Amino acid sequence: MTNTTYQKFVKRWEEVTELPPQTLGPLTPYYKMLVRHLKVMPWPIFVLISLILVLALYVLIGSAITFIVSLLQRGF
Amino acid sequence: MDIIGSLLVGGVSFGRNMVGIITRPYETYRRIVDRGNVWELVPIGLILAFYFALASLVKTAAFRPFLLTKQFILLSGGAASGFLLTVVILWAAARLIGKKAKVALAWAYTLVPTVFWFLTTSILSIILPPPRTQSAAGVSFSILFLIFSVTLLWWKVTLAYLTLRFGLKLDLGRIFAVFAVCVPVWGLWSYFMYKWGIFKVPFL
Repeated sequence: MTNTTYQKFVKRWEEVTELPPQTLGPLTPYYKMLVRHLKVMPWPIFVLISLILVLALYVLIGSAITFIVSLLQRGF
Repeated sequence: MDIIGSLLVGGVSFGRNMVGIITRPYETYRRIVDRGNVWELVPIGLILAFYFALASLVKTAAFRPFLLTKQFILLSGGAASGFLLTVVILWAAARLIGKKAKVALAWAYTLVPTVFWFLTTSILSIILPPPRTQSAAGVSFSILFLIFSVTLLWWKVTLAYLTLRFGLKLDLGRIFAVFAVCVPVWGLWSYFMYKWGIFKVPFL
């Protein structure tokens, strides 16, 4: 039993350490902070960023966003 | 294992990975690249075929078998060419930097957000056909639709990033470099798809 758990641990360890950790110089802590939220259940971050972007676009171009949506709706 | 057994295993793995790419994309992509099964491409292909059949019906707007079949073949061929083109570029990029590429299945899973967006847009265009007006209802719908579209785009970008991260074992800088090579090729492909009337929004 212990041996199996240990083998599972070793396998998992090898999986995780196969890729070297991602570093971005001085931006590494910010990158890690963002990625931590994207690894498990990333939807709140996706929706939040999308909401901010779309509201910014609405502030920028106003009701002309309906034109973009009309184009996209014809785009399939 | 016989074909039915392989299909069942592929189907179960696909279901498990679908839940995974929604809730735990990072861990799931590691699993897809390490232990992915080529039979998982079958359910993905079936979902795409279902969408192309529906899109053919919506685009043709007539029960004429010849036109429907032609439209279905055009859509399937266009999407298959985009998929193959991407896999070939990624494979060539891997060869160039001396790495082994395992990207076909991982990239196939990135088509899930794409097909979901196209499917939803097709259904919405039947329920609420464009153009959108500048009334309060039109603007509200537009904002919601754009939030939905951009959210799916982030999901797609994340899955594409994970394909390169695990499939080619690249760091962020090299992932950007590979995408910089892909973007002009995708641009050219999208132009021809638009020109030939197959996809107005690129199905990538």
